Amino acid sequence: MLRFYEKKTKYFPSKSIRDISLVILGLVLVLCAQAQGSPPPGGPKGGGGPMAGIGLPLGFLEEDKNYKFPDDITKYTAKDFLMLVRRTDIRSSFYNSDMSATITTVNVSPTRGTFVTKEQIFRRDKDDAFLMLTLEPESRKGQGMLRVDNNMWRYDPTSRRFTHTTLKDTYQDTTVTNNDFRRWQRSIDYSVEKLSTGTLGNYKVIIGELKASNDEVPFPYIKMYIETDRKIVLKVEEYSLSMKLLRTAYYTQYVQIGDSFVPTVQIFQDGLVPEKRSQVTYTNISTKPLPDYYFTKEYLERVSQ
Amino acid sequence: MNMHLSNLKLHLKLAARNVRRQPNRTIALGGAVAFSALVMTLISGFVSGMDMAIQDNVTLYSGGHILISGYTPSWSGRLQNRFIDDEIAKTVESAVTDIRTISPLAQARATIVFGTREIQLTLRGIDWTKDELYHDSLLLSSGDWKTLNEQDRSMLMSSQTADRFGLSIGDQVVVRLTTASGQQNVTDYAVSAIYDDAASGGMTTAFVSFGNLIADLNMKPNEQQQIAIFLKDSTNAERAAKAIAEALTEKGYSIASGTSGSEQATQRRMNSGKVVYSISTVQELAGEIGSALGSIRWIGYAVFILMLLVSATGIANSYQMVLLERTKEIGMLRCIGFKKKDVFASFISEGILLAGAAAIAGILCALPIGLGISFIPFDPHGDFGAALVKGHLRFVPTLGQLLIILVFIMIVAVVAVFIPARKAAEVVPVEALRITA
Repeated sequence: MLRFYEKKTKYFPSKSIRDISLVILGLVLVLCAQAQGSPPPGGPKGGGGPMAGIGLPLGFLEEDKNYKFPDDITKYTAKDFLMLVRRTDIRSSFYNSDMSATITTVNVSPTRGTFVTKEQIFRRDKDDAFLMLTLEPESRKGQGMLRVDNNMWRYDPTSRRFTHTTLKDTYQDTTVTNNDFRRWQRSIDYSVEKLSTGTLGNYKVIIGELKASNDEVPFPYIKMYIETDRKIVLKVEEYSLSMKLLRTAYYTQYVQIGDSFVPTVQIFQDGLVPEKRSQVTYTNISTKPLPDYYFTKEYLERVSQ
Repeated sequence: MNMHLSNLKLHLKLAARNVRRQPNRTIALGGAVAFSALVMTLISGFVSGMDMAIQDNVTLYSGGHILISGYTPSWSGRLQNRFIDDEIAKTVESAVTDIRTISPLAQARATIVFGTREIQLTLRGIDWTKDELYHDSLLLSSGDWKTLNEQDRSMLMSSQTADRFGLSIGDQVVVRLTTASGQQNVTDYAVSAIYDDAASGGMTTAFVSFGNLIADLNMKPNEQQQIAIFLKDSTNAERAAKAIAEALTEKGYSIASGTSGSEQATQRRMNSGKVVYSISTVQELAGEIGSALGSIRWIGYAVFILMLLVSATGIANSYQMVLLERTKEIGMLRCIGFKKKDVFASFISEGILLAGAAAIAGILCALPIGLGISFIPFDPHGDFGAALVKGHLRFVPTLGQLLIILVFIMIVAVVAVFIPARKAAEVVPVEALRITA
């Protein structure tokens, strides 16, 4: 009986089991890689979705270092320009350190007149996190804004309440948006539509017309004026979906801190009400490491008192 | 039975006679009770009126008695207020019978720019061909409905906004808004009509055609943000909303329960991957806006209780005095055959009669006063603008409220007279006659 059973049963060779397991494992790995690398339906085209955590595509920081830009600005291709934008993104940010600074904003409005606000900002660009505390005016002192893990809150110490806010919201009804305090990542959010060259003041610039790579980027179209010698952004025009000019940003002064070029003076002019504008000035810039607890709601609540 | 009736008649007759015996005291005591009734009638009448006004105004603000909002997850997982589903309207129609209209709604917070001036307000897209609510409720101070219906990119604006901008019919304004997916968009509209916002609870919402706003929000023509249901009777909104939620759940729709925004947001996050709907009623929305009424109501109750306590103390003291004054009389009544319970009943009847008559007088006085106050104009853009109707407070006391006030006052009177009445009933006739002789 036992002999008969042994004769009838065909055991699968262990070598085949190992081979099949390896093939299945390989397939799983390929599928996982594809799932991570392919764009989501309706989402950004031409590349993987943002990596979880810091929100940057794979190799965003590494690819930039050895890129060779054309010497002649008329020879720039769409890829060259996008790499140039990426370089400005990286150089205006602090991926290897934290950053803190004092921001003074002078706002001019035809209805509200001229008023000044002063904020202290703490940034951790590798995590796309920032904390901002209002220092002036006295009536708003202690108000704060915190961005962490793709969430953004505004804190009012009077009511002791956190309210959700978004990057596209304007800051205290001025021409400055919450997005302006964050690291730059235009090379992720936009693709190049058209290129041209020109001059801006005394500077030769390459002008790129960019289109948002997905429908959740606040400004669907932008026009960037980049000085190719220093590889810095001098001017950005932001357009609505209907192609109306919404805002023009001028980056008039830069300061080099380590590898970074920080636009320390930024002027924002409203496109619909040209008389409405804001000048943002960064001072007391520091790259000292900041404690992790700075980027928590508890700290904002405590420090606002 | 007949004996009980004749006894009651006798007690009431005696009570009426006793009430008239000391007119000054009766007037003072009755006046205090009447004043309590008057204040409570005014408070309850105005609070009811404010409640109704808030519900009416909230219906105008929200666009319907019941709102169904749909949230679709985007490619990044963010929930966007948009959905495509024709079946929902059909399901609603089959679940609720007393529907006047079902119409799609879209709205956005927009910045209206005219010259160098700008204002933020709510821009609502209305399907003018299906609308009855706004046609019936809004009073146009200039322009007409026909132009609004027929002219492309036309806007209906509140008179306050128009005055602030110095706008008149035909002027072009620039509208800046955020699309359903979060992008900035700028469009133009022409002012085609202006409505009297004082007649709409100070509402400053601007209205445009549904199709135009959907295009501005970068949504497909068959997409919508909300479905507004306008019922024949707004008091049925809660019941109808429950029926709609049950019918939609039965058909497999995901309905976010819980009325608070945070609860709904949590559920939406948990349900990411599929469209989530939330249902709100005018009563819920009015409850949020009208929470301030709660404090007015409680202040009213506190004043009423205080007044009742003062009145009760006054009544109790007065009847202690009455007891002293009438000790001899009570003794004589007891001698000629009045029983203890008759004496007790005559005191209680007197208290009820006095308090009841005073309460009725107070309520009757409150009615013309309330109506008079309702003619005083208030600022519709002030803190209580949403509780006003055409800039006036509405005075709507219900019969139930008036009966409760009356009964409550009479119960307090009985409680206040109870101890003096019991003491009167315990008077020993011979002792009473000897002491007072």
